[in-house]
Amino acid sequence: MLATYELTTGQKRFIWHHLLVAMVALAIGTLFGPLQAFEHSGLDLYKYLDPVIKSYYQGLTLHGVLNALIWTTFFITGFITLTTIKGLNRPLSHPKLNQTGFWMMVVGLLTAAVPILLDQATVLYTFYPPLQASWAFYVGLTLVVVGSWVEGWGFYLTFYQWRKENPGVRSPFITFAGLVTMVLWQFATLGVAVEILTMLLPAALGLIEGTDPELARTYFWFTGHPLVYFWLLPAYISWYGMLPKQAGGKLFSDSLARLAFWLFLLLSVPVGFHHQFVDPGIPQTWKAIHAILTFGVFFPSMMTAFTVIASLEYAGRKRGGTGLVGWIRALPWNDPSVASQLLAGILFIFGGIGGLTNASYEVNAVIHNTTWVPGHFHLTVASAVTLSFMGISYWLVPHLKGKKLYSAKLGVIQAWTWFIGMLIFSNAMHVLGLLGAPRRTPLGEALYVPAEWEGHLLRVAIGGAILFVSAILYFWNIYKTVRNPETAEVEVPIAESREDPQNTPAWLDSWKPWLIATVLLIIVGYGPQLYFMIRDISLTSPGLRLW
Amino acid sequence: MSDADFDDREFHPRGTVLIVTLFVLLLIVLWGSVYVILLARGTTL
Repeated sequence: MLATYELTTGQKRFIWHHLLVAMVALAIGTLFGPLQAFEHSGLDLYKYLDPVIKSYYQGLTLHGVLNALIWTTFFITGFITLTTIKGLNRPLSHPKLNQTGFWMMVVGLLTAAVPILLDQATVLYTFYPPLQASWAFYVGLTLVVVGSWVEGWGFYLTFYQWRKENPGVRSPFITFAGLVTMVLWQFATLGVAVEILTMLLPAALGLIEGTDPELARTYFWFTGHPLVYFWLLPAYISWYGMLPKQAGGKLFSDSLARLAFWLFLLLSVPVGFHHQFVDPGIPQTWKAIHAILTFGVFFPSMMTAFTVIASLEYAGRKRGGTGLVGWIRALPWNDPSVASQLLAGILFIFGGIGGLTNASYEVNAVIHNTTWVPGHFHLTVASAVTLSFMGISYWLVPHLKGKKLYSAKLGVIQAWTWFIGMLIFSNAMHVLGLLGAPRRTPLGEALYVPAEWEGHLLRVAIGGAILFVSAILYFWNIYKTVRNPETAEVEVPIAESREDPQNTPAWLDSWKPWLIATVLLIIVGYGPQLYFMIRDISLTSPGLRLW
Repeated sequence: MSDADFDDREFHPRGTVLIVTLFVLLLIVLWGSVYVILLARGTTL
């Protein structure tokens, strides 16, 4: 049995800085959530924020960029720093490289934040051209992405050093899964990097006359869909590799868990055209191919559902639970970290179903560009991911700060209020979408709102208000924990596997074939269509500022 | 059954199979309901 490596104060501080930036971003971004939800019900509070915040769309940009891009990226890089160090039982091999990456991300965040706050980048978090933001917005986002790459290189070098000293030993699951997440991110963000560096930034600087919106959208969704898995996989790391320990059990199958991660890496990039089903410039054949590949992602998703639930059933039965479903009650629901992640998983059931609906070529026509879509991704990134990250932080912040969690009871209440608020909010958004309500629209100002939408729009506001209260409870609990005079030593919960990981087949711990297969599938899935789109590029759409 | 009585070798995730089966059924029903809406809207010429 290896001695467990304990993080130094400096390492803990480094990870905490990631979380701190992430939480500040979430706190500011969350402020705008209820404003949008209230606006939908006819209560427009934005007019009272003028001149600080000038429009609904500026608020929506802040909400999307800070919550979907900044909160997630900083939390994830901090979390993977932890899973790398704790899994490998060693410090980072090149800590200065990781520190450089972190500070690049911080500088990038500040560079992008200034134009957003000055209303010079009200382009929403997808920043589709021909909408054109200040050049600083694109430079800032690029720095955030490149900074996260640099941190990733630090993880790879640390792993490489460990591998040289431990040939033939199965890599620890949490480290393996963290590295797969980072590799996926680095493949995925090539799309948005090319988009910004070849089109958006030169256009914003006046170096080229315009952009090619169709090609830009294709680059964006090259990144945009696997981005969802970059958000989800760290939650899965916790669900597979930590939650079973917290619940009192073990990981049901190390092999299944690794296979699921490899399949996510393999399949999550060449699926972006399912976000472009109504884009006229993409042939139907390619849309169909990406639709099929998207359904391929259903398999690792179901493997994850099975393995995680089986791990929880194992824990529940070990705790004395009986019957087909009686073990669920035996799980430690009074632990805020466990409750958050269980409730996040339940919400994700509906997120997964909605996702398959989105990905279905014809059925997508019913819900495309409606409020169904934000209803859906609030179940994924704002529930499965964010509620899980909140749950993780209920042990991670005490671990990093050496403080006792201020209130476990408050944490459980927070998890349930998030769950209830999100059920109300997202259900209303889905129903409104089916009734034809457009997304990204200040519906409170719209003159065409039929009576049948009104009750649902009110539910959007009620759900948003409950979520806002839940967010306040979360930040209060974290703040009081950091300030808590009561100290505590909280361990990182790392679940054992039921079977010795050394018995996991070697091909599930071998990078080369999976990386080659991933590159080949990306080339096959995107290569021909990108070739034609780049060959016929038409940089003729001038940048627009519609705000 | 207490922790001491729990036999790892006898563990079969029957509850998990039930939940995953219910999930697939729910998926079919909810996906199908959107498909029905698609059909109800008719063809676009």
